[in-house]
Amino acid sequence: MGAVLLDGIVGGLQLGLLAMGLSLLYGLGGILNLAHGAVAVTAAIVASLVVDGVGYPIGVAAVIGVGAAALLTLAMDRTVMQAVYKQEGEHRVLLSLLLSLGVAFLVDGLLEWRYPSGALSIRIGGGPVDVFGIGMRRGSLYAAAIALVALGGMIFFLRRTTLGRAVRSIIEDEQGARLVGIDPARVRTLIFVVSGALAGLVAMTNSMSAPVDVRSGFAFTINALIVTVVGGLGSASGALLAGLLLGIVNVLSAFYIGAYVTSIILLTAAAVTILVKPSGLLGRSR
Amino acid sequence: MLDVRGLSVGYAGNDVVHGASFEVRTGEAVAIIGSNGAGKTTLLRSVCGLLAPTEGAVTFDGGEVTGTTTAELARAGMAYVPAERHLFPGMTVVENLTLGAYPGRPEQQQLDFVYELFPRLKERTAQTAGTMSGGEQQMLAVGRALMGQPRLLMLDEPTTGLAPKLAADAYRALKVLKEQGMTILVAEQQVPLALDLADRGYVLEDGRMELSGTSEELAGNDEVRRAYLGIA
Repeated sequence: MGAVLLDGIVGGLQLGLLAMGLSLLYGLGGILNLAHGAVAVTAAIVASLVVDGVGYPIGVAAVIGVGAAALLTLAMDRTVMQAVYKQEGEHRVLLSLLLSLGVAFLVDGLLEWRYPSGALSIRIGGGPVDVFGIGMRRGSLYAAAIALVALGGMIFFLRRTTLGRAVRSIIEDEQGARLVGIDPARVRTLIFVVSGALAGLVAMTNSMSAPVDVRSGFAFTINALIVTVVGGLGSASGALLAGLLLGIVNVLSAFYIGAYVTSIILLTAAAVTILVKPSGLLGRSR
Repeated sequence: MLDVRGLSVGYAGNDVVHGASFEVRTGEAVAIIGSNGAGKTTLLRSVCGLLAPTEGAVTFDGGEVTGTTTAELARAGMAYVPAERHLFPGMTVVENLTLGAYPGRPEQQQLDFVYELFPRLKERTAQTAGTMSGGEQQMLAVGRALMGQPRLLMLDEPTTGLAPKLAADAYRALKVLKEQGMTILVAEQQVPLALDLADRGYVLEDGRMELSGTSEELAGNDEVRRAYLGIA
């Protein structure tokens, strides 16, 4: 039981990180990026190519992979999403869904076509480490540590830095943000790139316990969406909380019932959240 | 400081303001008075870049700024306090004020200045803006605007939703600012308060500037007295 719970927390931290970018982006610009998983997979495949093809050490490859994910989101922001930004309200959300889904198909399709057996698996050697009397795989421990540092960094950025406060202010009141001199479009571009980098990072940490392959994109996107909805669209701390909760629900249901039901249980959790609290755990109703 | 020439602006192709012209000189307080729906808000929103004018030009600090974004104008020293205030409701008083200094860090001197003007804010630094009363929110909105050390302070109906005593308090604070040399432009339907503060005023009716003059001239004008001051 303890080991299962610990596994849930490790997975939950990564889920939170995966959803954070998606959630912030929705809060900032009313856009939902369905290519989030494709971006993560791109990072994994680029990293695997750098390791296998070029022969760089995995640490360097991981950095290059995360950079590739950030570049891909920057390209999205500068090209297809421009059409989305011209729309307002509901139209913007819908068009962002459609166009980012298109990007997801394109990226996933290209990767599957060029690298049908492409996959990244980062092996962390060494025996299990004792945590609260439970033997944990080193890979899980590294993944949790990296996720914690990244989450801490994001929370510090949002709470303590001028630019981070600007991000939150746009989510609070976009017109108010303009009035104090903040350019929402620039901040949105920044967060788009950050969300890409975070998705790439999660692909790296995930690959420390199980391979991330060219077909993993869909699952990444769905998980991120569920966590985002449960946590509250636009809430970074909500994404973290929901990530942890769902991570634990995920492993418990896999352990006690079977892996085949986990996605059903996660979706049910999301549906119940929407029914009970439409704005999500920490989202503010508008 | 601010020169607006022949500005026409509206929503979805229907102009609400038709060829309005006015100016605000450095150190002056100017009031734009008019009834509800006359186009005051539309006019101010277009001056600060929230709405694109269909015609006309806005000159600020000697340079033409028509078409400049709100964010750029704010950084150039044009502060706008809308009637709805647009505070950051989930953030504290201090965070709201800090963001007012964006992209810089807030200067202690400026923070002290705002706290001196509105002691209430100093008592409530850690309170979230959304939980404050209307009067306090108005103080915070003006305080946030002042944190950027603006050259021109524009306010749209600063008395919206305030009880008479609080409305008078709000204008007392504006008077203090004016005495310290702040250039102020205010749009207002509570004409006595506005004319008391302002050196000069303009009357906006159905989107057209119908009258202008010193506050004394306007307060003595029969039409203004009848329509806005309730004096037959």
